Parts: sequence; structure tokens; C-alpha cells
Amino acid sequence: MGEKKEDKCSPPIISRRRLLQSVAWMSGAMATRVGCWSVRSDWANAAAGPIKVGIATDITGAIAYVGNACANVAKMVVEDVNNAGGILGRPIELIIVDTASNESVGVANVRRLIQRDKVDVVLGGITSSMRNAIKDAIVTRGKTLYIYPEQYEGKECTSYLFCTGPTPAQQCDQIIPWLIKNGGKRFALPSANYIWPRVLNKYARELIETNGGEVIFEEYYPLDQMEYSATVNNIMTNNVEVVFNTIIAPGVGPFFKQLYQAGFGKRGGRLAEKGAARLENDEQKTVLESVEWLLQGKDGLTQIFSNDKKLRICRSYLTRGLWAAFTIGVLAPKDLVFEGEAKPEQILRNATAAAAREAKCSPSALLRQSEGLPEGRISGSS
Amino acid sequence: MLRKRRRRVAAKDFNFAHGEFVLLGAYITYLVYSYGLPVWLGMLTAPLVVAAIGFILERLVIRRFYAVPIIAMLGIYALGLIIREGVRGLIGGLNISVPEPIVGSLTIAGVHLSRWRLAIVVITTLAMIACYLPLTRTSFGLRVRAALENPSLARVSGISTNTIYAVTFTFGTPLAGLAGALVVPVFSLFADLGIRFLIQGFLAIMLGGIGTFEGSVAGAGVVGVLSAALPWAVAPVLADVMVFVIVIVFVKFRPGGLLAGRRI
Repeated sequence: MGEKKEDKCSPPIISRRRLLQSVAWMSGAMATRVGCWSVRSDWANAAAGPIKVGIATDITGAIAYVGNACANVAKMVVEDVNNAGGILGRPIELIIVDTASNESVGVANVRRLIQRDKVDVVLGGITSSMRNAIKDAIVTRGKTLYIYPEQYEGKECTSYLFCTGPTPAQQCDQIIPWLIKNGGKRFALPSANYIWPRVLNKYARELIETNGGEVIFEEYYPLDQMEYSATVNNIMTNNVEVVFNTIIAPGVGPFFKQLYQAGFGKRGGRLAEKGAARLENDEQKTVLESVEWLLQGKDGLTQIFSNDKKLRICRSYLTRGLWAAFTIGVLAPKDLVFEGEAKPEQILRNATAAAAREAKCSPSALLRQSEGLPEGRISGSS
Repeated sequence: MLRKRRRRVAAKDFNFAHGEFVLLGAYITYLVYSYGLPVWLGMLTAPLVVAAIGFILERLVIRRFYAVPIIAMLGIYALGLIIREGVRGLIGGLNISVPEPIVGSLTIAGVHLSRWRLAIVVITTLAMIACYLPLTRTSFGLRVRAALENPSLARVSGISTNTIYAVTFTFGTPLAGLAGALVVPVFSLFADLGIRFLIQGFLAIMLGGIGTFEGSVAGAGVVGVLSAALPWAVAPVLADVMVFVIVIVFVKFRPGGLLAGRRI
């Protein structure tokens, strides 16, 4: 917006002085945020045309494995809704922007979504840090609705902003007592250093201690840390029984790998991974192979994730299926909080069957996997 | 865990694309693996392909910069950006995992050591010896050192420094490629893989002293040990910063680096 306005005001030939003035004015405006006009969504105009839905998600970068699934499912759902006649006779127009797992890129792109595309609602943001970074552009200056659909740390109270994901209570209240009863009392809380793990761990620690468990260590790592030897050795030597992980990508893959190689699983250790329902691509394949002792359904799933071209097509559909299941889980978090096997399995089974039908590939292979998925010791609270 | 990292410096200019050659090595390993071939084959291919790319870049771009060191650094940095964003585009901005050629772990005195990490230590040691011997024992190594230490005198003595720079650059790139190929199973492949290595390599050179082989190796050893050992002692977030602080304070009091005054 800033540039456009400036172009109009500028004389046809820009002298050096004029340019310097403009630059100074613009940078001043940008620094004081005067230059970023808040643009109200034009509800009156939109009534005639499509409903504009903006999706801001991490299509590239460390968290891309989640973001791509989000974008795919958004496309799938919008396609379905439009084929069924839209909402109140109006089609949905989907605008997807990439927040690139990077808050500064995210803010710039979301601003474009609000100011240029003038969307009616924004959905997205995966990490809480991303939500905190982009919410100002959406709700404060943009006065646009923002729906944040991820599990998060709670404590969010901003007008125009709706959080539909599970709060720490919903993420922990059932899984932690269950883990203490079935896994062990000695917990480790390795975490990425940002707001969600910090607030969640505070809640989890309280719950662990009131339920008779013990937190052996709670540690925070830089988000780009890839090397977890110290952590893994700490876990192994202190005889930790449950690892309540909040390390996110890109560290989570290497961390699980190292934990697995150190023999944590063989020793009977249990791993609670909050994002366990998102088993959809290559990065997660590492996670999958590493937590095979949790999943007990390894061979089939890795078969789907293998590089066979035919299965590659299935995989994209499986992604959609699993993500749909995940979204269902988010809408009804109570059902997915791990208690036994029945409900999440059912959701995944249905979603996978649908995905297999659509992909026209053998559903039995896909189904086998969905059965192996939420079984046993994994926490499927997300 | 101690993993020695090696960095070559071409003509006292820091090669700001070195991290990206590491990335290229990692990417090529993945590429070979993704065609269904074994990972170790990818690791053998990677240094060769990266060497070829390094050679082409040297002939096309970098050789034009030897006369202007500062601009050379910027130019090489730009090349690095092109490589990084190119790889980001090719892998779709994802994080991709590559399996280890050797899996499993050993338990020595209660400490779990992954077999592949031990293999990395062995391979790196061999690579270091393979670099050290030609540099100290051959006449070509002598000319390389001369060109590094005093380029004008070397030129006066009839040594074509440009040829030397070209050869050392082209020889440095496969080493970066090898490093990338070796670490990709440990770290997984993503476009920003090289950045951390570049920064740590830079620290290692700063600590070890600019322009010496032993210095870089010793510096890399110290930086490696520090960044692996500090998280055991202090909070990991703090440890990340402390490595830098320690190195900067050290260099302040000993600007020549660890092995100042002792050159090969």
C-alpha cells in the first residue's frame, strides 16, 4: 500500500533530493507504523461476490510438513463446499499465503492478505509465536476475523481472534494421569524455546507433581538446535520413563532419532508427542521410524511413505485424510485425548478409507496403517 | 559429541558460500538416495559433484574477483544465496530425512555413541590427514602456503597465485560437499543446513588463527567441544550464546588465535 500511494504523489522524474525525501518519509512512516493503513474489510462489497478466506500457513520452512497438509485440506474443503453450492449461495474464494516458518516473512505476507486481498477471515498460524506475530496485523490494524485452529497454550484473549485448538488443560488433563498410571513417574520435558512449550510445561509440571510423578528435567533448546546428545544422555542416565516432548521441527526428527538409537524405546520408555496425529510426510517418516516402538504398525506406514511413485499419489491423499482426521480431532479434542484406542482409531480409519477410495488405491494397505496408528503408548491429544 | 569441522579459506577471503557447498553435498546425497540407490553411494558421489560445481563456479565467477577481496566476499555470498534458495526451491522448502548408512549405537563406559557418528569422526580424521600431508610434504603445498602468506612475493617468485587460488578453491568445495554428505543423516536435509556450519566454521577460523591449517583444526576442535559440552553444564539456550562470547573474549586477548606464531 505504501508504495502505491507514494507513486501517485511522486513527480514523473524523481530527483535525488525528492527520492531521499520519499525514502525518509516512507521509512519514518513504516517505523512508526503510520504507513501501514488498517483497512477495514469491505463487508458491503463482499455481499455480492465470493467470501474470501485467507489461509496463512507455513508452506515452506521447518514446519512445512504441517503447513502443506493445512493448505491441502483447506483446498479440499473449499472445493467440497463450493461443489455443494457454497455458503448461503456464495462461493468461497481461497487465498493461501506462505508464512514460511518465519515470523517476519509471515507478517509481511499476512499484511498483504489483509490489505491487498481484503479477506473476510484469516485462518492459520501454526506455532503460537506465529500467531502472536501475525495477530496484530489481522485483528488490531486489519479489524478482520482471525481463527487460530491449533493446539496452543491458552491465555489468548483478543477481540476478533478465535482459538479453536485445545488448551493445556485439554492437552494434559487426561494424558498425564494416564501416562503416570501406565508409563512411569519420571518425566523429562525437553522443549523448544518459545511460548507454547513454556506455558504448557508449567501446566504439565503441576499436573505431574499433583499426580505423584516427578519432573527430572525441564529444558529449553534454541529452535534450530539439531544436536541433542546431552539431552538424550540425560534422559538415559537419569532413568527417565516418560519423555513429554515439545521440541518442534526441525529439531524433533534428529531428537527422536537420537533417542531411539540410544535405546530409550527398547528400555520401555514412553514418548508423548503432541503432534503425533500429523504423520504425513518425509520429515515425519523419520519420526515414524524412530518411534516404531510406539506405533507397532511400522512396516505398512513406511511402505506408504516409501519412494514408490504409485504410492506417492496415495500419500498425498493420505495426507489429506490424516489431516482431515486431525482437524476433526481439533474440533472435538475430547474425543482425541488419549484414553484407550477406540475413538481416534475410528476417526483415522474412516478418514483413511475415504482417502483410499479417492486415491483409487488399495484401501487395505491404508487401513492397516490407520489401525496401527494411535495404538499403544502414543499420546494423540492433538 | 566432538565432531571436528574443517574449513578452507581461499586467499584469506572467507568463503561465505562454504555453508552452501555443505548444503549441496547434503542435497546430492539425498538426490542419489531418492533414486533408490544406497546412501553411501550418494556420499561418495556428493564430493565429486560438488567439486565439479565448485570448479565451474570458480571458472565462471570467482576467478574474476581475486583482485578485489571485499567484493569477492560479497560476490561469493551472493552465489551462496543463489545455491541456498535454489536448493530450497528444489526440495520444496521441506525438511527431508536421509537414513544413516550404518545404524545402531555402541555403549562405551555408559555413554551411548551412535555408530554413524563414530564413523564421521574416523572419516573426518582421514580427510584431515589427506589434506595435511600434501600441504606440508609436497612442493605444491609449499606454493599454496606461499600464495596464502605473501601473495605478492609468491607472484614475484613465479608462482601463479590465481592458479593456486583456483586449485585450492576447487579442492575446498568437495571437502564441504563431503561434510554435508556425512552430516545429512544426522541433521536431515533443509535449505538452511549450511548457515550454522558457516557460522561455526567462521568461529573456528577466528579462534584458530587466520591462514593456518592446524589453527583451523584446533579452533574447530575447541568450538565443537564447547558447543557440545556447554549444554551439559548450563541451560542449552544460554550455551548457544556462550560459545560466541567465549570465542570473542578469547580472540580479544589473543588476536592471533590459538596457535599464533606457529605456522606450518
